[in-house]
Amino acid sequence: MVNPVFLIIAPLSLAFAIPLFGIISKKIIKFIPPIAFGFNLIVSLALIPHVLRNPIIVSIGGWSPPFCINLVAGPVGILFSAIIALGGLLVSVYAMDYMEKVAIEKYHILYILLLTGATGVVLTGDIFNLFVFFEILCISSYALVACSGNKQGIESAVKYLIQGSVGSSLMLIAIALLYGLFGTLNMADIARNINSVSSMELFVPLVLFITGLGVEAAIFPLNAWLPDAHSSAPAPVSAVLSGIAIEVGIYAVARIVFTVFGASSIFLFLALLGILTLIVGEMSAFAQNNIKRMLAYSSIGQIGLILFALGIGTFYGVSGGLFQIVSHSLAKTLLFLAAGYMIYRAGSMEISDFEGMGKKMPLTSLSFTIGVFSLIGLPPFAGFSSKFLIIYAGLAKQEIVFIVLIALVLFSTVIEGAYFFKLIQVLYFKGKSERVVVKDAPLSALLPMFALVAIITLIGIYPNAVINILNAGALELLNRVDYIRSVLG
Amino acid sequence: MDFLHNYIYYFGAFGLIFIGLYIILAKSNLIKVIIGLSIMETGVNLLLIAIGYIKGGTAPIFSRPEIKAVNMVDPVPQALVLTAIVIGVAVLALALSLAIRLYGHYGTLNLRMIREQKW
Repeated sequence: MVNPVFLIIAPLSLAFAIPLFGIISKKIIKFIPPIAFGFNLIVSLALIPHVLRNPIIVSIGGWSPPFCINLVAGPVGILFSAIIALGGLLVSVYAMDYMEKVAIEKYHILYILLLTGATGVVLTGDIFNLFVFFEILCISSYALVACSGNKQGIESAVKYLIQGSVGSSLMLIAIALLYGLFGTLNMADIARNINSVSSMELFVPLVLFITGLGVEAAIFPLNAWLPDAHSSAPAPVSAVLSGIAIEVGIYAVARIVFTVFGASSIFLFLALLGILTLIVGEMSAFAQNNIKRMLAYSSIGQIGLILFALGIGTFYGVSGGLFQIVSHSLAKTLLFLAAGYMIYRAGSMEISDFEGMGKKMPLTSLSFTIGVFSLIGLPPFAGFSSKFLIIYAGLAKQEIVFIVLIALVLFSTVIEGAYFFKLIQVLYFKGKSERVVVKDAPLSALLPMFALVAIITLIGIYPNAVINILNAGALELLNRVDYIRSVLG
Repeated sequence: MDFLHNYIYYFGAFGLIFIGLYIILAKSNLIKVIIGLSIMETGVNLLLIAIGYIKGGTAPIFSRPEIKAVNMVDPVPQALVLTAIVIGVAVLALALSLAIRLYGHYGTLNLRMIREQKW
């Protein structure tokens, strides 16, 4: 068994070794990120059978958990680190040819750092390291949004940076208040003692945490940066920001609310916030003419759906939320990657310029269409199973408010279907029908897209492949006593 | 008077945080907004230090018997503040370099004038 700490050490050291490799040869730099995340993917998949039996607790420095920095590789952590490594591997293969023009060395360093920060967030067991890894993720994503250096990129990076750093400061205030109350930063230790403090004193840190993390997770009133940042970044960066970074934000919200605070009284609030985010995101996406902005708003909507599922707060709800994170991450990464080369060939982001793309770039368009079908929730793709599980969980709750909310979820799925089918219609059925020169995306881009299509279809046809780890993850989030016991012994 | 004496650092910390937040929300010059971010971070750091402060406290060194264990100061908040300061410096440097690039593109730092992208 490999120690989970290597999931952080290996990419981090490779990231800072990139300038050294650059001295030897500029050509080998682009092979470093696939190596780093290939390693992470193999380690994460190899650890899954172990964590399904027992969570792995790594204590750094040889002290016992409340006094040391520790990593908790439970089912949720390993599930997320596998998603991050898979996305990171495929997107870095795509970026080999796509990212030729920008400063390659800096791009690859920041890219690995972003995903290392994400892996750190999902594996760490104390709130201050959560903050530190979150800052690694955020700072590298501000820089990556700006890395193209054009007008839009710089403008959205500035917006993202201001909002993101206010969010981080709020989170640090919450950490300071919790430290003042409990004298410890270990999540399990705080969770064990949380009932010894009156709920009035916990309210302010909880609100600050949700607000601070909500900026990165793009929960409704805090998501003004997302459409700009995701649409003006280069395609591989949009793919990891949309497919991984915001999911990690949602993970952090879930970990704080479920495990640390055990705040079952705000689940309904989270569900309402999720529905609000979902409807606002989908309505705004419907009005867009720019394909990347449409995808970015659709990400906001999907984040709302995930938050709603977590807010249901039952076993099937949380499991469905985690499933939706998996299927959204795969589908949105695929959509941004496919859109990247379609925009490159069309020379524009306007949807009206994509007429006849289905004939000009048949393979890319096919991958894009499958991503769209999965996102809307058509069988037999992964999105169907996850949405089905969420709706089942909401109805099984048998409360009138949840039935109304489920109706709103279905309504927003209709909106989602409307704008995505409009896009598919432009791709295949609009424009002149004469034969044109076929020039599809290069192999290094088609390979990751087909891999994502295969995984989406596989999970859609056989959801039991992932349901074990999702159920174990839902149990880990809902059963805080087991989490505390496994960390503190 | 005693109340003020005990809580003066908390007042200072939250005062700085709110001053910083006000500058971020109200000012339109990017450099001023960045200064606001910096003030807010300073406030948060002061809050962390204030939580760990003990009057007349000593360092937690066990090997020297002349240091009494009674007034020992927990070193964790100070370690946190060191980390937070380093992170703050990184954000500040990135923000200022972005401000230079933004000025190069638009010829202004007034954020009200820069509205290429909106909802």
